[in-house]
Amino acid sequence: MAINKDSNTYTISFAIVLVIIVGGLLAAIANGLKPIQDENLVNEKKQNILNCLPGNKSITRDEAGSVFNNFVKQRVILNYNGEIKENTLLDNSIELNNKDSKDAFSIDLLKEYKTIKDEKSRNYPLFICDVEGKTYYVAPVMGKGLWAAVWGFIAIDESGNSISGTVFDHKSETPGLGAEISQDFFEDQFIGKLISNEDTYKSVEVNKPGNPLNDYQVDGISGGTFTSVGVEEMMSRTLVVYHKYIKNLNRS
Amino acid sequence: MAESTEVLEEKKIKVKEREPLFSKKNKKLISDPLDENNPITIQVLGICSALAVTVQMKAAVVMSVAVLFVLILANVSISLIRNLIPNRIRIIVQLVVVAALVIVVDQVLKAYLFDVSKELSVFVGLIITNCIIMGRLEAFALGNKPWPSALDAIGNSLGYGMVLVIVSFFKELFGSGKLFGFEIFGNATEQTGLYAMGYMDNGLMLLPPSSLILVAVYIWVQKIRNPSLIESH
Amino acid sequence: MDLVNIFIRSAFVDNMIFAFFFGMCSYLAVSKTVKTAFGLGMAVIFVLVVTIPINFLIENYVLQEGALSWLGEEFSSVNLSYLTFIMFIAVIASTVQLVEMIVEKISPALYGALGIFLPLIAVNCAILGGALFMQEKQFATITQATVYGLGSGVGWFIAVVLIAAIRERIRYANIPGSLRGVGMAFLITGLMGLAFLGFMGFEI
Repeated sequence: MAINKDSNTYTISFAIVLVIIVGGLLAAIANGLKPIQDENLVNEKKQNILNCLPGNKSITRDEAGSVFNNFVKQRVILNYNGEIKENTLLDNSIELNNKDSKDAFSIDLLKEYKTIKDEKSRNYPLFICDVEGKTYYVAPVMGKGLWAAVWGFIAIDESGNSISGTVFDHKSETPGLGAEISQDFFEDQFIGKLISNEDTYKSVEVNKPGNPLNDYQVDGISGGTFTSVGVEEMMSRTLVVYHKYIKNLNRS
Repeated sequence: MAESTEVLEEKKIKVKEREPLFSKKNKKLISDPLDENNPITIQVLGICSALAVTVQMKAAVVMSVAVLFVLILANVSISLIRNLIPNRIRIIVQLVVVAALVIVVDQVLKAYLFDVSKELSVFVGLIITNCIIMGRLEAFALGNKPWPSALDAIGNSLGYGMVLVIVSFFKELFGSGKLFGFEIFGNATEQTGLYAMGYMDNGLMLLPPSSLILVAVYIWVQKIRNPSLIESH
Repeated sequence: MDLVNIFIRSAFVDNMIFAFFFGMCSYLAVSKTVKTAFGLGMAVIFVLVVTIPINFLIENYVLQEGALSWLGEEFSSVNLSYLTFIMFIAVIASTVQLVEMIVEKISPALYGALGIFLPLIAVNCAILGGALFMQEKQFATITQATVYGLGSGVGWFIAVVLIAAIRERIRYANIPGSLRGVGMAFLITGLMGLAFLGFMGFEI
């Protein structure tokens, strides 16, 4: 055994062999698991969209994949003025394509806000859904809480006047405080709240808990002030676009 | 050929050859880290990722299992190639092996335990720099055979997990009135159980500083029970 | 303004030690005297400022999905993000090594001061944690990422120097035996963390 372990040749060849073995192993594992991971992500988004529709709160992530098309009839991308972008109105007979930028499902609102500075040129995805003959519009919202991003999906009724359901989620809000926004008791408060005053948009306010509420107000989370404010801010900023679209649709 | 590994560490615990699989010495490898040589409270290793995932017991348990898995595999594989590793790049080699194992854990979690992986987010990655792993690799695996190394890994990750679970037990119970997500004290929003009598969750328990204080109390209690561990100053 | 905001946030609000416990191991190990704490603190700032921009470039031009498109059309769908951990840690380990050699050549005095701390830094969670948070926050420009690195480093520096100063002061205090050393260090850090909670949600 006369190998000199401290020689450069040995060190370098050891490093090369190690890199090849480790690299190959990782590539194999990552590629093998990739389809399952992608499906998880797609299904989670589907689940979020479906969960905010009335009566669909209990749909699990595994079910969401197969029943998505039963509820979501059309997918569409709007511009800032609430108009449909060219060639983006897709029927649910067209298969969902997570890679196609014309498919509303592929649009990540978070990315739109991060990468496109001009709000006029951002894409706003909207999902037109049908539950027992009634039309609902499901719109994504996103903003920031105390630590990092918060986001959600809001279902708006056919008239564009009130909220029919919400789902919120967050990256890393404080568990037990800000993180409570993803709990049912918080989300369900929004049901029936108005977002429209004589056809102009009026945002839902998230108030300090314990005060009397009107039709435009919900209770915030005590101890989760910044997250509550974040929820209010993201709803007022994003929903206005979708409100314009639904109102125009109803007028014509 | 074995010289270079021997000069590295003076604190190496030498294990005699050809002894039964569970000799007294080997058993000690597992039991020591649980108390007298606990990686967190005595060796002061691996605190970084430990405290951040203790808000909920579920995350704490998953984190401990992930560390257990990575530490066993890392300890065994480093121990297997301990005589081949060039001394000059040994830290990088250790890091690469650990990083590769952590990637495997991360990928598997993302594929099969999606919700948990969301919760742990960047902390899975931090297992790489979890000092427990590097510490045990340097201090034990580099100088010992695979079997004792595996036992050492089990012992240390159990000791680590134990502290995590105990801290998260108090944090979750008093911070949100739950254990593993089950409501122990009743429902806070509907004012049932203890909450009906005016009990309130202690929000402070959920915030980072309370983990530090809980670990301090843990150390305190441990050293009262075992005065030989008391530091001179 | 954006940059000032990022700096303040990373140094005080999202303080590495008090909010995330990153780098606790070396934090507790070197905080017995202010002098060593100062040395390691400086080294951490330095390494963070160097490695975060490098990792930012790697993230954006190698790892992300479509990041390799500068190599040509056929690479535009390659997604190497599963290699993140290994790339980041490799960058950190080799940067630390390089920095060590450069500092030794150029300024032996600085090397003498930082020398023993530099190799320790490769396994400091604050460095890898900084890189992973940088990835998570998806900074738009490299300047923002660098400022984030600087802020995180300064936050770590402040934390470690502060606790070292406190520990020096209580050296002769009559602490109950079972709390001496690590126990007391944890308690102090917890109390300091409470104070730092005051920065929560702070924004300019």
